[in-house]
Amino acid sequence: MRDNKLKYILVLPAIIVVFATAVWPLIESLRLSFTVGRLTKPNFPQGYLGWENYTWAFMEEPAFWNSVEVTVLYTLITVILTTLIALGLAMLLAPGGRLRGGVQTLLILPFAMSPALIGVSFRFMFNPEFGLFDAFFGVVIPPLAEISWLSDPTLAFVVCVMADVWGWIPFLTLVLIGGLASIPQDTIEAAQVDGASSWRVFKDITLPQLVPVLAVVLILKAIFSLKTFDQIYMLTNGGPGTATQTLSHYIYFSGMKYGQIGYSASVAWVMVIPMILLTFLYARYVFQKR
Amino acid sequence: MAQVLLKNITKRWGDFVGVDNQSLAVADKEFLVLLGPSGCGKTTTMRMIAGLEEPTSGEIWIGDHVVNDDLPKDRDVAMVFQNYGLYPHMTIYDNIAYPLKVRGTPKADIKPRVEKAAEQVELTEFLHRKPKALSGGQRQRVALARAIVRTPKVFLMDEPLSNLDAKLRVTMRAELKHLSRQLQITTVYVTHDQIEAMTLADRVAVMEKGVIRQLGTPDEIYNDPSNLFVAGFIGSPAMNLINGSVKDGYFITTGGTRLVKVDGGDRAKVILGVRAEDVDIHESGQGDIDVLVYAYENTGESVMLTLQFGKQRIIAKGDRHLRKDMDDVVGLRVNPDHLYLFDSETEERIRY
Amino acid sequence: MTGKQRKQFWNVIQITLILIAAFIMLIPIIWIFLAAFKTHVDVYQLKLFFTPTLENFGTVFDAPYNLGNKLINSTIVAGVTVLFAIPIATCAAYSFSRFRLRFETSMLVMILATQFVPAVVIILPFFVMFRDLGLLDTRLGLIMVNLAIVMPFAIWMIKGFIDGIPLETEEAAMVDGSTRVQVIRNIVLPMAAPGLFTAGIFCFIIAWNEFLFALILTNKDAVTLPIGLALFKAEEGDLWNLLSAAGIIIMLPMFILALIIRKYFVQGMTMGAVR
Repeated sequence: MRDNKLKYILVLPAIIVVFATAVWPLIESLRLSFTVGRLTKPNFPQGYLGWENYTWAFMEEPAFWNSVEVTVLYTLITVILTTLIALGLAMLLAPGGRLRGGVQTLLILPFAMSPALIGVSFRFMFNPEFGLFDAFFGVVIPPLAEISWLSDPTLAFVVCVMADVWGWIPFLTLVLIGGLASIPQDTIEAAQVDGASSWRVFKDITLPQLVPVLAVVLILKAIFSLKTFDQIYMLTNGGPGTATQTLSHYIYFSGMKYGQIGYSASVAWVMVIPMILLTFLYARYVFQKR
Repeated sequence: MAQVLLKNITKRWGDFVGVDNQSLAVADKEFLVLLGPSGCGKTTTMRMIAGLEEPTSGEIWIGDHVVNDDLPKDRDVAMVFQNYGLYPHMTIYDNIAYPLKVRGTPKADIKPRVEKAAEQVELTEFLHRKPKALSGGQRQRVALARAIVRTPKVFLMDEPLSNLDAKLRVTMRAELKHLSRQLQITTVYVTHDQIEAMTLADRVAVMEKGVIRQLGTPDEIYNDPSNLFVAGFIGSPAMNLINGSVKDGYFITTGGTRLVKVDGGDRAKVILGVRAEDVDIHESGQGDIDVLVYAYENTGESVMLTLQFGKQRIIAKGDRHLRKDMDDVVGLRVNPDHLYLFDSETEERIRY
Repeated sequence: MTGKQRKQFWNVIQITLILIAAFIMLIPIIWIFLAAFKTHVDVYQLKLFFTPTLENFGTVFDAPYNLGNKLINSTIVAGVTVLFAIPIATCAAYSFSRFRLRFETSMLVMILATQFVPAVVIILPFFVMFRDLGLLDTRLGLIMVNLAIVMPFAIWMIKGFIDGIPLETEEAAMVDGSTRVQVIRNIVLPMAAPGLFTAGIFCFIIAWNEFLFALILTNKDAVTLPIGLALFKAEEGDLWNLLSAAGIIIMLPMFILALIIRKYFVQGMTMGAVR
């Protein structure tokens, strides 16, 4: 068989799978978002509504705006915190050697942990009666022992952020260590010979060359932060009240708990748009490399 | 055994022309070298013969067939790659045997033929190893053995020696020459190294920008270059090329120096080509003109002098016992018997 | 301070910071490990020193928790997902790596995009469709949607490995007399085998840890391990010792797998953007 036929036959199964499992549901979601789409009523999806689901979300639903607010805040804070800490950690660990190499290996572990399980373990640690933090703070700063972390809206949000940052630092650190390793060592040595201090070397030489990798890391983390669901579900289930309800969680709740498939599909599509933008931004970096 | 024929071959990628409407006939049993700088189209030409690249237009003949539509496997050629293209997951034996196996050669035939090929390249003791365990030179031999294990119509070699260190390259070059004389198979060999081309080739095709600039024996392309590119490309150090004009039977540099007597009538814009070994150095005042030593280099077997007069520099090769220093004044005489004149516009050789 | 002293001082600070970071990274994991070996009573008394017990690991497999069923579900779902994903992805990855295709970039971006689309968007139509087809709470349904998550990772990761196979090796095989299919079978597959194995493990981990799809699509028969965690809620609150034992059963095999392929984890996750 000639290559020019074979090459399309080879990609065909994968394209079919991707179409069936991602493109179709995406388009179907869009269609559903214009319907009544009540799961509990007969004749699903019960006819078209036009833009009503969207206008309802934007005009009439404080819970929607609340989840947008939570998601944006959550994304901003986790992206910045995770990236900064990971950058520091990567700088610390990049030189290699036995200790640093060992810690690099340890970093794989949280990464292989199910996010749901991360949620569980943080809920456990912040349990007011017998969590690790009460045990710890109870000894060091006794008044803190009384705090019920997960019942306070702000503190619950803080715990969610902590769990997220904890879960993502390892991955970002490993990517950044890879990025640091790909910076030609002689550019750094040249700057050192030219008399630059460590800080200047970092600021003038290392950081600018790390920008492409940092961009990739920021985009990737932003995407995953925007999508966050698993650990929030297990950690606070959006609570207390709706203090930690992200968009994903809101969509899940209105779709699955209340059966409003049409409405939740419209909210989901509101979320798809920034995702598409981020994906194209990301794709630019992927194809720049080639 | 077969001749290879390219008829009006063009290879284009979008606007980029890799090979521009070239024709070439490689005779049966001939060793033809495609020589040129990187990006000149020599590898593309070879890959089109192998069937790894499809020509945009033109015909490729191997033996008495047009092979344009044949897959590489059906062209009955053997190829040695620059990075050898060995199969890292197979032993040396399996590497060499692969072309036979995949063509359905009976098992009983394979073993003796692999062993014979291995013996020819002195690899017998390494047959059970994997490529990773071999040195660069040994890997090179495996690639060779894989090519000679069957008797293809044509050998194709794509810079096969370029990944070896300088010393090994010289040894392998000799072995390659020996082997090719022994096997008597049509060979197309691609290189950017002119020494390889000069030493191995029956004929050399010098390529530049997708065009064959000159096709001839090594002797012809060295001693009788037909254009400025070939003159400048062949020879080390590169031929001195001096801009100027011909007036009253003399070559006058652009700077106005009357350098040497030449044949032919007056011409406004010409380039004079003279090899470093044809520039003679004398004591000051005893040459045609006095020049300044710009740099003096002793290579051991000879000395190189870069000489300057006005803005013009010229390289001369001198006796290895000659000792000069920067800014010394020496006499220079260009040997009038070995001069080449080129037209500045067309860059073609001016012959009389 | 002299230069040497200053260097030593910085070294000590760095090592301290590294150790603190390593400790923080490990705390939640250690906490779960400790709790899993504690008795019910010990958990609530916050003991650091206690007599370890294996009792919890027995309990989680008994009724009413029946973690064994979930373990089997998780293994089958993740395993079959990988068995489908890797061959399909390998074919596509080879084609993307070696040929110029029409709409190649569009296809690759589309594959990339599927990974970035929020899972909640994809799951809504699937839920409706599966409800109509009777595929809710089946492993088959779960495998189908898991393919969606795993596919882009697999394609990009395997493409990376195939890109690393020198083109010359394949060309040599073609000149030596192989058809394209023989090249793929005799040369590419054996050379890419470690990469395929790595990608398989990576996808297995992702499918194993998948949560949202399983949460929505299963409720009894096809429940996977991460969803099984929700079982350990009792009237009086969470049963932390059992939850922790289940947690270990979920994460320990993944730790081992992750350590086997640790060099490629980053590459897999970033899908071609970082090499």
